[in-house]
Amino acid sequence: MDRLTFALPAGKILAIVGPSGCGKSTLMRALGGLDAPLGGTARLMGVDLAAADEAERQTILRRSGFLFQGAALFSSLTLRENIEMPMREFLRCPRKEMRQLAEYKLALVGLADAMDKLPSEISGGMAKRAGIARAMALDPDVIFLDEPSAGLDPMSSGRLDELILRLREAFGTTVVLVSHEIPSILRTADFCIYLDPETGTMGAYGPPKGFLQAGQPPKVHAFFSQARFD
Amino acid sequence: MSQPPSGSPFARTEVRADGLAVVTVGGDWHLDDTLPSVVVRGDRVKVIAEGLGDFDSSLPAWLHAHGKNIRDLDLSDLPARLQSLVRMAEKAAFQDNDDEKLGFLEQFGTWGVESGSSWARAFEHIGHTALGFARMLVGRAKVNWADFSLQLQTAGVDALPIVALLGFLTGLIMAYVGLIQLRQVGATVYVANLVSLAMTREMGALMTGVIACGRTSTAFASQLGSMNVSQETDALRALGIQPVEYLALPRILAVTLMVPLLAVFATFVGVFGGMVVACAGDLSVEQYLTQAIRAIAFKSFLVGFLKSIAFGFIAAWAGCYRGAVAKRSALGVGEAATSAAVLGITLIVVSDALFAVIFNLFDL
Repeated sequence: MDRLTFALPAGKILAIVGPSGCGKSTLMRALGGLDAPLGGTARLMGVDLAAADEAERQTILRRSGFLFQGAALFSSLTLRENIEMPMREFLRCPRKEMRQLAEYKLALVGLADAMDKLPSEISGGMAKRAGIARAMALDPDVIFLDEPSAGLDPMSSGRLDELILRLREAFGTTVVLVSHEIPSILRTADFCIYLDPETGTMGAYGPPKGFLQAGQPPKVHAFFSQARFD
Repeated sequence: MSQPPSGSPFARTEVRADGLAVVTVGGDWHLDDTLPSVVVRGDRVKVIAEGLGDFDSSLPAWLHAHGKNIRDLDLSDLPARLQSLVRMAEKAAFQDNDDEKLGFLEQFGTWGVESGSSWARAFEHIGHTALGFARMLVGRAKVNWADFSLQLQTAGVDALPIVALLGFLTGLIMAYVGLIQLRQVGATVYVANLVSLAMTREMGALMTGVIACGRTSTAFASQLGSMNVSQETDALRALGIQPVEYLALPRILAVTLMVPLLAVFATFVGVFGGMVVACAGDLSVEQYLTQAIRAIAFKSFLVGFLKSIAFGFIAAWAGCYRGAVAKRSALGVGEAATSAAVLGITLIVVSDALFAVIFNLFDL
């Protein structure tokens, strides 16, 4: 990838799309501070995480959350303990309050009755929601969602989209997501980046509905037109 | 009532004459703050804000926790955003998690059914294994022979060092302990009989079986459990290949073949270990070896050999079974490995006791 430059207003939802292997997840991992870019800088909230010292890095990580493609819940911890984990790392409040917060975050995503279950005892959709609850544990300024709808049926995917929109509205969180689900992107995203694997740069940037209109680069228009929806 | 420092979160309650409990919240509420502790009682509770400043999810979480069991919770005087954050947690309900809490009898019954299912699964796996062996004999089983060759190496040859070490030490310890008593009756020459008979008939097989449980069973359980997690076993079934035939049979066959050989090796090394102690002051090497050879009858060797075949099968089967039924998670694979060793050792000891009875009946 090369010459990727964009700015996202706070509180908006950005979708990163493109053909398989174009570097969507790589870009998001660089933005989220999980991987260092081979060249150039990736700044999150103004900070170059690859060059930042540990204290600065921790400060930025405290203000961001990540949902991995497979939810990546810790299998030996209950859902509540999974949500409490970032709290134990970054907060200094009593354990009772962490428990209270974790229960509230799970209740927000509809998992109040499953908080004492292990990840192996819940469905894929529930795991994704628990992953979102963990990403939202510390009221982050920005969350990164890696293919949140992957592996979910259309109804579960739709409910997850509603959840993302509700959480964004309630907490004002900026959301960056990678997805192949064009209908989902059209439902949720305010802005969209199309990554062009051939040029290794942005093929298009703007509101996703605009990508379906005439005047867009042919490959971008073709990519978005693949989705069949009413 | 004293006021908290300016900006700190606070909450207080008062009960009005009509029984309405009023909770007043105010100040700044942040995740890192120590939150106020109040007791909220009653069926009717109204929450109001007084000097409420900046708040994050700590405040709606606090309200959610305290308001959970309140029948009539009135939040209408709170800022709209705060009301929305509390109501979201109450309203969020998805179709796919409506578990009922089970009573004690139901839990006991569920436990009984699950235990029975566990036994049924074990017998089912034994049946599949036996069927797989029968199909293999007539050339109809799809066996991964590459795994068989690999396991001959890892479960057999690679185990030689640990078997040698433990066999040697076992013989050495038996001789040492035996000599303590035999010296008192002037019968130290019989230490050779003690060590060689015990190693041939019992300890060679038993010790090798236990080593196989600790080393090989756990490895099989981890391998097959990981394959469950990554859905490789599902992929085999989708191709019409039985995972028991393809994965378990070569492992069980390899270990069942190698453990008897390892047991024989352990026996020889154990006898040598006994010799090291016995010949350190009590016997000559010639005396020891002559006594040892005289003491070992063919039936003793046969008993030990037959046991080692059974123990090898048990160790391999325990690992393959636990791996096959492992839960699909990292935790499940770990639990499978641990339980494979425990199951294998338990079954080996139980079967050793049964063998003792059977061989006694047949005067072996």
